[in-house]
Amino acid sequence: MSPLATTLKTSLETEARQFHDVVDDHMDVPWQDFLKAWGELREIDILKRDDDGAYFIEKN
Amino acid sequence: MADKGFRSFLDDLDAAGELKRITKPVDCRQLSALGEQADQATMFENIEGYPGWRVATALVSTRKRLAVAMGCTENRVAFEFEAKSARPIDPVTVENAPCQEVVMKGDDVDLTSIPLPLMHLFDGGPYISGTFAVSEDPEHGPNVGCYRLMYRTPKETGIDLVSPSDMRFYYQRALDKGEPLPIAIAVGVHPLDMLAASYKAPIDTSELALAGGLRGEALEMVKCKTLDLEVPADAELILEGELLPIGWTADEGPFGEFSQISGDVKWNPIFRIKCITHRKNPIFYMLQMPWENDWLAAPVTEAAGLQALRIASVQPVDIRAPVGSCGYWSLIASIKKRPGEGKNAVAALLSVAEVKFVVVTDDDIDIHDPDELDWAIAFRVQADEDAVILKGARAKHIDPSVKSWLLGKGGLPTTAKLGIDATIPEGVPKILYRRIKNYGRDRIKLEDFE
Repeated sequence: MSPLATTLKTSLETEARQFHDVVDDHMDVPWQDFLKAWGELREIDILKRDDDGAYFIEKN
Repeated sequence: MADKGFRSFLDDLDAAGELKRITKPVDCRQLSALGEQADQATMFENIEGYPGWRVATALVSTRKRLAVAMGCTENRVAFEFEAKSARPIDPVTVENAPCQEVVMKGDDVDLTSIPLPLMHLFDGGPYISGTFAVSEDPEHGPNVGCYRLMYRTPKETGIDLVSPSDMRFYYQRALDKGEPLPIAIAVGVHPLDMLAASYKAPIDTSELALAGGLRGEALEMVKCKTLDLEVPADAELILEGELLPIGWTADEGPFGEFSQISGDVKWNPIFRIKCITHRKNPIFYMLQMPWENDWLAAPVTEAAGLQALRIASVQPVDIRAPVGSCGYWSLIASIKKRPGEGKNAVAALLSVAEVKFVVVTDDDIDIHDPDELDWAIAFRVQADEDAVILKGARAKHIDPSVKSWLLGKGGLPTTAKLGIDATIPEGVPKILYRRIKNYGRDRIKLEDFE
């Protein structure tokens, strides 16, 4: 897992967040790099949604 | 090559003074907000991190720009759509196509190489909003529709396939056999092609021939690189792949819906992409929600209303699907009325797709003037005689009032519909509706006294 994907994972294990909140935290990252990291989390199928559509990851 | 294409339409907008060009560098996270603020269609010429790409948006987010696409005046759009759609022209297949100038297959497939925009505050991810989606069924043949795609991975998107549609039907038939459904997505086609794709045609009607009719020339198609499907040759971008046979199990959304509401998370299939082709120096089309979608929906709804009225032997004079109802949920029509036809017209218009509110007036009412409409409703309607309610009709999930969350995954909602006959009631003398007119108004002019 890339360092950015690891950072995203840690953040979403801490609390549920809307996609735009996750984006706002990484505005300094090139958009393509951000999307690749997001895709890494999707590929391992760990992203969950709450009732408001926010993303979270259950901590093992 | 065909005369009409995505790029020729951009030229038409430019000539009409309806296209703004932004040459400063723009990030994909800024595209939607900038496009929404512009009072013209917008072409972003310099996308940060995506050399060679441009992004166009808000191309038909007003009735005026839609009229440019149709080649007619604003108040003739519905009638033009109706007339041209009655003269379909079959597509033709070509060997070489601009949309296949660049080809990425297998491991080279990477959606992140495309400038995917983050469009709305509560979206579940970046979206491809303006699509011309092609699928095929062995029995029913090719079908075209418009479906949004949410980025998931470099090779996968979500796709909103919740509402009833021909592609949903095709997918269900493939799913029943445990098979994927091959589909191809074209992005960046002429708005007339988008209009044809969004038309709720009977399942065996060719949207491709309809697109030809609207264009007045055959739509040129080219065979996909990896699928036995054909796509518009002059498109900017093509995604080839398949809907995985997983049913409605993957989270998708929210997305800024054409209902002007943020929507919620839905459960949908996944689109796995096997090949991406595009033009050299491609233009990504970001369909600006909700207005572009709503203005594209309006003539389709209006033409369906005209057709329903004619089938009911009622003579329509004017019709509009208000953009406040997203060009989809309401129809207002004026008719040349014979006794009883106010109710016939209401019944006919309530039969159109998911239209749930209808008003019918006589032809002395300008239905584009809200004050005129209010006047007709105030003085020509008795609620116990002129309101028609139809229960249990087909509905769309994105209407919160149908409470679709109670239905479970894949469930289809129903709705009640309301029609108002605001024509002069039978038995009421027309002289009672004689309007105030100022004495001398036709010959005495204010400018002569200024």
